[in-house]
Amino acid sequence: MSNDHRHRNPAPADVGMSRRSFLRTSAVVTAGLAAAVASLKPLMEMNDFPTAERFMQKYYKEMTPADMDKVIKRIENEVQKQYGIRPHVRDLKPMDGVEFAYFLNLTRCIGCRKCVHGCVAENNQSRDPEIQYIRVLKMPDGTLDPEKGQHNYDPPKVPEKGFFYMPVQCQQCHNPPCVKVCPVHATWQEKDGITVIDYDWCIGCRYCEAACPYWARRFNWTKPSIPKERLNPNMAYLGNRPRRQGVMEKCHFCIQRTRVGRYPACVEICPVGARKFGNILDPESEVSYILKNKRVFIQLKEELGTSPRFFYYFDV
Amino acid sequence: MMTRVQQAIRNYSVFLGRCARVAFIGDWRYYTWMGALTALCLLGLHAYCRQFANGLITTGMSDQVSWGVYIANFTFLVGVAAAAVMMVIPVYIYDNEELHDLVVFGELLAVAAILMCLSFVTVDLGRPDRFWHLIPGLGQFNFPASMLSWDVIVLNGYLLLNVHICGYLLYCRYQKKTPAKWFYIPFVFIAIVWAVSIHTVTAFLYVGLGGRPFWNSAIVAPRFLASAFAAGPALMILAIQIVRRVTATAPMGEVTRQSGGTLTPKAVHKRAATAADLDVLARLLPEFTSVSNEVRRQILSDLTVLDVVTGDELLRQGETDKHAFFVLQGKVVVQREESGRSRITRTCLPGDQFGEVSSMAGTPRMATATAVEPAQVLRLPAETLRKLMKNPQMNRLIHARMTERLMITDRGLMTLRGIVQVAMLINVFLLACEVFTEFYAGGLHVASSKYLYLGLEGHHALVPWIWTAIAFDLAAMFLLVLPVSRSLKWLNITCVLCIVGIWIEKGMGLVIPGFIPTPLGQLVEYTPSVNETLICFGIWAFGLLAYTIFLRMSVPILQGRISKANEGVPAVELLNDSSASPESPTAAAHA
Repeated sequence: MSNDHRHRNPAPADVGMSRRSFLRTSAVVTAGLAAAVASLKPLMEMNDFPTAERFMQKYYKEMTPADMDKVIKRIENEVQKQYGIRPHVRDLKPMDGVEFAYFLNLTRCIGCRKCVHGCVAENNQSRDPEIQYIRVLKMPDGTLDPEKGQHNYDPPKVPEKGFFYMPVQCQQCHNPPCVKVCPVHATWQEKDGITVIDYDWCIGCRYCEAACPYWARRFNWTKPSIPKERLNPNMAYLGNRPRRQGVMEKCHFCIQRTRVGRYPACVEICPVGARKFGNILDPESEVSYILKNKRVFIQLKEELGTSPRFFYYFDV
Repeated sequence: MMTRVQQAIRNYSVFLGRCARVAFIGDWRYYTWMGALTALCLLGLHAYCRQFANGLITTGMSDQVSWGVYIANFTFLVGVAAAAVMMVIPVYIYDNEELHDLVVFGELLAVAAILMCLSFVTVDLGRPDRFWHLIPGLGQFNFPASMLSWDVIVLNGYLLLNVHICGYLLYCRYQKKTPAKWFYIPFVFIAIVWAVSIHTVTAFLYVGLGGRPFWNSAIVAPRFLASAFAAGPALMILAIQIVRRVTATAPMGEVTRQSGGTLTPKAVHKRAATAADLDVLARLLPEFTSVSNEVRRQILSDLTVLDVVTGDELLRQGETDKHAFFVLQGKVVVQREESGRSRITRTCLPGDQFGEVSSMAGTPRMATATAVEPAQVLRLPAETLRKLMKNPQMNRLIHARMTERLMITDRGLMTLRGIVQVAMLINVFLLACEVFTEFYAGGLHVASSKYLYLGLEGHHALVPWIWTAIAFDLAAMFLLVLPVSRSLKWLNITCVLCIVGIWIEKGMGLVIPGFIPTPLGQLVEYTPSVNETLICFGIWAFGLLAYTIFLRMSVPILQGRISKANEGVPAVELLNDSSASPESPTAAAHA
């Protein structure tokens, strides 16, 4: 057995509190507190703390009409304060006997991305950082595999020979994976088929963004910024009202327009009439006509069983 | 007059208060370690405040790669938490005594890991202020549709289970009471099943997404479990060696040298036991009163009472003799030497027994027992002890106490090594299955795997990571099957390889490539930002801080140094590491 270990003298027990140890302890405690306060500093520079009212706001489906009126007033005041414009915010409900469907004619689309810009302007999307609901893919002829598409094409003139263009946005699935995964019911499908988000209920976990097979959802990574003169004051609660930092958003078929009988902005702005929108339950509608008379429809990634309300077709 | 409930609340608050006090006592190494961790925590907190104010734009994440290192760490740590508890299986199902005390350490590790998991998901939230939307009853809980709502339930449930089990066991040990089996064994079994469930649910979080072919594979959950069972016990092997090292009171040989290298019969005053001695024992051990006078008379002639002075050894590790002991007066410390260091495994106060395990088994002594203050002990041969144990109450008491000691043996570590070994083999096998399926069949969905293993269209940020992970996994696997990893030095290297390899494989290697390319085929890479990394370090530091505090509190309780019996004595005195040596202030305080 080795005996060469030096014997360790026991330290004298720290009985009672000497003046020196008191000073030492208080110095350590003070330094610790100072460091803790210093680490919290970024919070003090924040000017957008959630108010008690916003913190306690009820879930959309649990609000009474009176609650909703109050919340809408508050939102209008907040927008006016921030942008200097009094917006008109409405809580538009789905119409009876209406289920929307969207048809996109891939023969006609020229890839001009006017829809992207029309959408941004209509739906008060952040300009910095940029948020866009529509992504147009430049596809080589002969394939529909999005992995072969180009995202950042920038030729002097569209369309280009040998390519066609496939705009992708929220497909408004019958069986939306994003709704299924949301842990707090912050996103759901409405009676008219539109999947909406309660921006004031979303916790920002981004599980829906991971779940969406169409990469249709966007997150507000920071405070969105919209120039004052660009704000669209015609707003819906579940639609284009300004969002806050840390929540999800996505295409909602321009709820603020379509639920009062107008076309979505992307349909209206398309210069070649590639976009068709309407009530699939109405046999006289344009979309019902397309469904009856065109031969082949493409539902993106239909093998996933999402069953989109967004159809692609060719004019042949 | 105090009611019993009030008394119980008072006792429990004193227990908690003393635990809290213990967390602030330590030597300079302890303070340095804790100081460094606190500083890292505060740096992380500062980074998090910046993120809270400016949004998740301060991270490297984007709409293309919308989860990053937070969720990667979360996934890894859920595995650690699950695996830490699975170690109770050998103890409760196969009655492996070697691992008995490791159960508490394992469960405490699980608690620390879950705290880190919860922190990692919280920092990943865009709106942490709305966390209450997740509380069932208060908010809107999408259960059972959302796997995330399952995760909320299983993680918090797991936290409660483990806090209950180790809190209860420690409190019983503190009171020197035998834990009531019905009050913790059912929870232990629930926790075992629950441990599998937390990791399965976490795997299903990914597996359930049809739009992400890289994750949408049934093998992910088994892979998660296998890798967790390798990384978790590997972490435990390292952690308990550190515990063993820092709770060592002295290098080996010191105690024995002081007592002159032999048992010290000169100092021992021996006499035959009398009925009065048995009455003393009966007062200390209520169970003994049930032993009939007839039996007492029968055994009396076999009993010896020894009076010893401070520093006397009563038995020595490695020797073989057939005596068991009960302390009648004073204090005896039991120390075990392992890997060149000795550690207190138990502190025996009047009424406590020692030496009974090896005396009955006839095996060499597992530890050395030394009086740390003048003491009187009752010595009895193994045969007599057996006679006593025919009495059911004594039998139950002695059996229950046999399991109450802080043993960290090399055999226990080797049992863990066995677990890591098997788990690592399965893990590498499952990884190979996955790689084969992806690449051999090919098809459209191989893009993420190509990106991960080979790089895709000039993007290969993850390639060095995953190959490092594979190299580490393979190296660890070979070391584990070779006998060389039976030496602690090589075992430790192997464990580090395991932990790092699996951390990369499961974190960067599983979460990130699921997002690349996006479902629309866009290739956007991800690198964590400095701020994001600082937050991760902060959370790891917080977890280590919590685990250190848990260990700091539980080790003296397991050693019997802090118990209800010494409630009035300041913890500083009880924890003075030299209490085993004759000059101990504790000895003076009790004399």
